[in-house]
Amino acid sequence: MRLLLVEDDPNLSRSLAAQLEQAGYSVEKSTDGREGLYYAREYPVDLAIVDLGLPSMSGVELIKQLRADGKEYPILVLTARDRWQDKVEVLKLGADDYVVKPFNVEELLARVDALLRRAGGWAQSELVCGPIVLDTRTQEVKVNDAKLELTSFEYKLLEYLMLHAGEVLSKTQITEALYSEDFERDSNVIEVFIGRLRRKLDPENSYKPIETLRGRGYRLAAERGAPDAD
Amino acid sequence: MALVRSLRARVVLWVSVALVVLFAATGVVLDVAFRNSMDQARRELLEVQVLGLMALVDDESGELSLPTESLPAQTIDPQFGVANSGMYGAVFSDNGSAIWQSTSLLGRDFPIDYLTVAGEKRFERLDVPGFPPLEALLMGITWQFPNDRSGDYTFAIALSLEPYNERQAAFRRILIGWFLGITLTMLVVLSGLLTFVLLPLRRLERQVREVEAGERVKLTGRYPSEIVGLADNLNTLIDTERRRLARYRNTLDDLAHSLKTPLAAMRTLLSEQRDKAAEPAQDALNRELERMDQRVSYQLRRARATGATGLGTEPVAVAPIVEDLRQTLDKVYRDKRVRCTLDVVPNAVFRGDPGDLTEILGNLMDNGYKYCKGRVRVTAHSTPERLIITVGDDGRGITAEEAATLFQRGKRADESVPGQGIGLAVVRETVELYRGTLDVSRSELGGAELRVELARAGLL
Repeated sequence: MRLLLVEDDPNLSRSLAAQLEQAGYSVEKSTDGREGLYYAREYPVDLAIVDLGLPSMSGVELIKQLRADGKEYPILVLTARDRWQDKVEVLKLGADDYVVKPFNVEELLARVDALLRRAGGWAQSELVCGPIVLDTRTQEVKVNDAKLELTSFEYKLLEYLMLHAGEVLSKTQITEALYSEDFERDSNVIEVFIGRLRRKLDPENSYKPIETLRGRGYRLAAERGAPDAD
Repeated sequence: MALVRSLRARVVLWVSVALVVLFAATGVVLDVAFRNSMDQARRELLEVQVLGLMALVDDESGELSLPTESLPAQTIDPQFGVANSGMYGAVFSDNGSAIWQSTSLLGRDFPIDYLTVAGEKRFERLDVPGFPPLEALLMGITWQFPNDRSGDYTFAIALSLEPYNERQAAFRRILIGWFLGITLTMLVVLSGLLTFVLLPLRRLERQVREVEAGERVKLTGRYPSEIVGLADNLNTLIDTERRRLARYRNTLDDLAHSLKTPLAAMRTLLSEQRDKAAEPAQDALNRELERMDQRVSYQLRRARATGATGLGTEPVAVAPIVEDLRQTLDKVYRDKRVRCTLDVVPNAVFRGDPGDLTEILGNLMDNGYKYCKGRVRVTAHSTPERLIITVGDDGRGITAEEAATLFQRGKRADESVPGQGIGLAVVRETVELYRGTLDVSRSELGGAELRVELARAGLL
């Protein structure tokens, strides 16, 4: 998952980006509004974290522009203002959630996770596709109730595929979502990981969870089955 | 004249005083002039009568003699012949004996004890028992008889002053009557005129009151040139006040940003490296940071609440704010799928700062969303004096003791309340700014119901 972090405080930006990356996201950092807008327009982004008090272009303006451009990915706002009027205004502008400074990083991660899930059409933190159950909170994967051991990269790949279950995802899309910009890209790597994931998820090759669409990419084919509680 | 508050009363009072002084002076002058002219006329009449009397004198016998009533009426004033007519006449010889006395005296002696010398003309006021107040003309002459004998005589005519005094009194009555009439008419006209003239001032006063009460944003309409400056200045003042408030808020926002970003950086940096050995120190630092944040947040939110001072704030419709907050909270608590019902009277309005109302409602509704099982109900209606808001939920409810501690939270800045919001304390303080009340009871939904009553701004 590729996140865009627009925050002008260098310490906060660096440390938060480090912790987001540790949690498995690839993060683009930007320290001012205009630059942030440029990144948001030019690169594929799954979620943006935007500070409201930015130099050169305010966060409010940035969000307005992004929504005017038709960008629909979730936007999480970092703000020092904790008055309800400010919160209402920010969400009305098109942001999806806000976190008041100083925030707890774990809470922020939970919000990011929830926003990404919702953007993929999932209401619960447990993603269910056919026999595969992935818990985004505990990062556990079960197939037919049997726990599956995955490497961190395999997990990230599966999570990305499941969040976009039913959608066709190109290799480029997957690479950009899973690697930071400076990573040397090689689309063969994705092929290799997809192969490994297939063997782990479906050792008997019985239900073929991941389809290959020649020349277009991959799709998680197992049907979404998130039980909508309440 | 500090006691006379009303401009109209002042003008009426001073105009009355001026009119009374003016009319009193005019009255005295007119009265004196009238008296003088009557005195003049009376004296001329007396002289004419004396000369008339002299003309009737018969001196053929070498003695002065005067005709009696037998004389034709036109030759002597008939009043001499009418009893107590108010005109009396007599002629005295130089030894004091009366040669002739008019019939009007009814046989009494002419009331005089003074004889003139020849050539003397003397007017005299006489106040004699049995007679009305009189004015007499005594004229002394030396009479040359045809036989060259001569003798000194005193001719005397007296006139009653009564008819003159009556005329004077009547004149005064008419004078006073007219002056009173004119004064009253002028005061009535003046009063009406003042109402008309003071109309713009009254409008100004009403509008200022409405601005104070938050029913009006600025003074509007055309004002006469004398007070258009005042109205403009008031508008400038209102505008300045509003801008000052906005600047103050911007400063607070900047302050919040510049304080909270470093706090956020510190917390984030702390959570970045979890080192077993450093953990106790990190936890302690985290707690300190949390306390700092609580204090800063609480004080900033308090400072941000404007209260009922709002000069020129428009009445704030409650319904859109509640609707906005519901949408916001539905987004924030999306996974909880809260069913929030609104029962807000469309014309419910709040007289005060919209930010303050949003803060109150936001904290109450957030509380409801947070503690409910699945349902929240918000109601609002306003009376001319108050706005009444309730937020109920189907959670486990709040006991009175819990409420008391919740409302107090944050009041002491050094109080450490990890993980607990300061929302209700802020609500309580903001509500107090509007001389309102905050109560907790049980909701129909089964959980807590928080009820806020807010006084209309500008009312005690």
